[in-house]
Amino acid sequence: MLFRDAFKTSTRSLTYGKMRSILTMLGIVIGIASVIILMSIGQSAQDLILSQVKSIGSNLIIIVPGGSGNGRFSAPASSQGIVITSLIQRDVDALKREPSIQSAVPEVRGQADAVYENNNVTVSYEGSTAELFPVRNFTVGQGYPFTKGDVNSANHVAVIGLDLAKTLFGSFVDPVNKTIRLKNISFRVVGVLAKGGTGAFGVDQGNIVIVPITIAQTQLLGISYFSDITIQANALYDVSFVKSRIGFTLEQNHSIVDSNKDDFTIRTQEDILSLLGNITSILTLFLAAIASISLVVGGIGIMNIMLVSVTERTREIGLRKAVGATDGDILQQFLIESILLTFVGGIIGIAIGAGIVGLVYFILSTFFSSISWVFAFPISAVILGLAVSGIAGIVFGIYPARKAGKKNPIDALRYE
Amino acid sequence: MIEVKDLKKEYIEEETTTQALQGVTFLIDKGEFVSIMGPSGSGKSTLLHILSFLDRPTGGSYKFQGKSIDEMTDKELARVRNKDMGFVFQSFNLLSRLTVYDNIEIPLLYSDILPNKREALIEEAVRSVGLEEKLYTEAGKLSGGQKQRVAIARALVTDPNVIFADEPTGNLDSGSGLQVMEILESLNNKGRTVILVTHETETAEFANRIIKIKDGMIESDKAIIANRHHHGNLK
Repeated sequence: MLFRDAFKTSTRSLTYGKMRSILTMLGIVIGIASVIILMSIGQSAQDLILSQVKSIGSNLIIIVPGGSGNGRFSAPASSQGIVITSLIQRDVDALKREPSIQSAVPEVRGQADAVYENNNVTVSYEGSTAELFPVRNFTVGQGYPFTKGDVNSANHVAVIGLDLAKTLFGSFVDPVNKTIRLKNISFRVVGVLAKGGTGAFGVDQGNIVIVPITIAQTQLLGISYFSDITIQANALYDVSFVKSRIGFTLEQNHSIVDSNKDDFTIRTQEDILSLLGNITSILTLFLAAIASISLVVGGIGIMNIMLVSVTERTREIGLRKAVGATDGDILQQFLIESILLTFVGGIIGIAIGAGIVGLVYFILSTFFSSISWVFAFPISAVILGLAVSGIAGIVFGIYPARKAGKKNPIDALRYE
Repeated sequence: MIEVKDLKKEYIEEETTTQALQGVTFLIDKGEFVSIMGPSGSGKSTLLHILSFLDRPTGGSYKFQGKSIDEMTDKELARVRNKDMGFVFQSFNLLSRLTVYDNIEIPLLYSDILPNKREALIEEAVRSVGLEEKLYTEAGKLSGGQKQRVAIARALVTDPNVIFADEPTGNLDSGSGLQVMEILESLNNKGRTVILVTHETETAEFANRIIKIKDGMIESDKAIIANRHHHGNLK
């Protein structure tokens, strides 16, 4: 039998029961649309996270306390909540002497209530040096960033986030030169960051308080070590070379001979991108796997209807066999029918999925404009959707089609 | 053309064995019109199914156009059914939602005949049963007699050597039945072999030979002479 004839026969059979075909397809439509939507959202989230990491600059290197063992992506002990005191001022001084390093910015972090008059907000605060502002691209909109002198003199000054300024002071009070309190210690607000919202690494820079590291260490936290050190590499040097120089310098400072026993972890932007890329890819796959459950359910629905169809058309099968159809011809006809059902269902599912993704993007970009949401509609999801729907047609259609092909013509012709 | 020797067919169901055919032997030459008659359960339909390659015997031998059924694969049997055999069933077996044209086309879909040659063959077949004006009518909308004529056209379209008809008048009124039998008779007059299964004597007498079957064996095998043009009506 010519494929053309088999195709024509199959499409004709499907169009005779339009409503049934549409309802049968529905399972696959929902399944494929779910896969498309979740893969697209996963990809968008991945793009958003990666673009935020990229926005901190490719020449930034972050040193966190604690070793990460041999695994490139093992979490350092410090990120597991263990207090490690290995990064100290002596390290920052040594790193600053290294020619391949442009800036070494130590940071400490904590949480406290920020109080202005009767207003009270729980915020994350960060203690750092004046170099933090240029290195992390923090632009001060109102007032000015604190200076090296403020850090050295341990002045009680603070730069606050834009959203926090609105919460504490309202829209009509200029926060600059007002005094806020953190842990009952007064800080004069010298500047307000120009940009609110969520910044790199998911830091809520709109609600942050940045104070000189000297004050944060001695009066807010009572520690002499750092939470991390951000390094800005000298643009003349390759980042991987700078990374190796940092390792060498810190190992010397900490008298470490075996690099497997490092008490610090160095992460470049590339490392972070790679790690986050892996995590978000797994997340996207996980989402797609969940969505594919509905695809399996849809496929079983198709198999069910095809089995009913084979039984209903037993006499037709008998007739076709009597006039010369082989087992293969009958199998081909029913297989084409199930593939057509799933494939057309897949195309409709992709279209509906794309429509919903577009709608979600529209809602996000209209009502949550502070998030620089990226519209991602991965072509891989479309190809996957088409391939999966075609394969579903074969997988779920082969059993009914074989059953049809194997029917005995006499029994089929006698079937009532 | 058809050579059957000691043909046997037994059905085994659980622990019961039924002997449907118990050693049947005969020859049918090209151009014969043979009626196979017998009461219900005599084995006549089983015999027709084996002769028309829809089933295989469990004993004896059957040669069609010199080739033994035992030497042929299922695929080859399907090919012979398509090329050399035409089928007319009691219940027509038309696909009611398809047009007359599409129903007649079905055997051609499984043949080597190219799509551009099909239309002429279908028109010729429908003309031979006098239903040209119904070519694009849905089969479900036809009367019983018309349906059986379409079924005959479908059996003719591949220009087969033999036409097997299984109780072709069983579901028809006498007028329509007569019409159908006259078409089969004219096909035989043009040289086609016709093998008919029936339990109606009047229908069987359209043939020039009647084989009577009883309990899976041949009871009689007689030629009929010069009675063809004396049928007033059927039933």
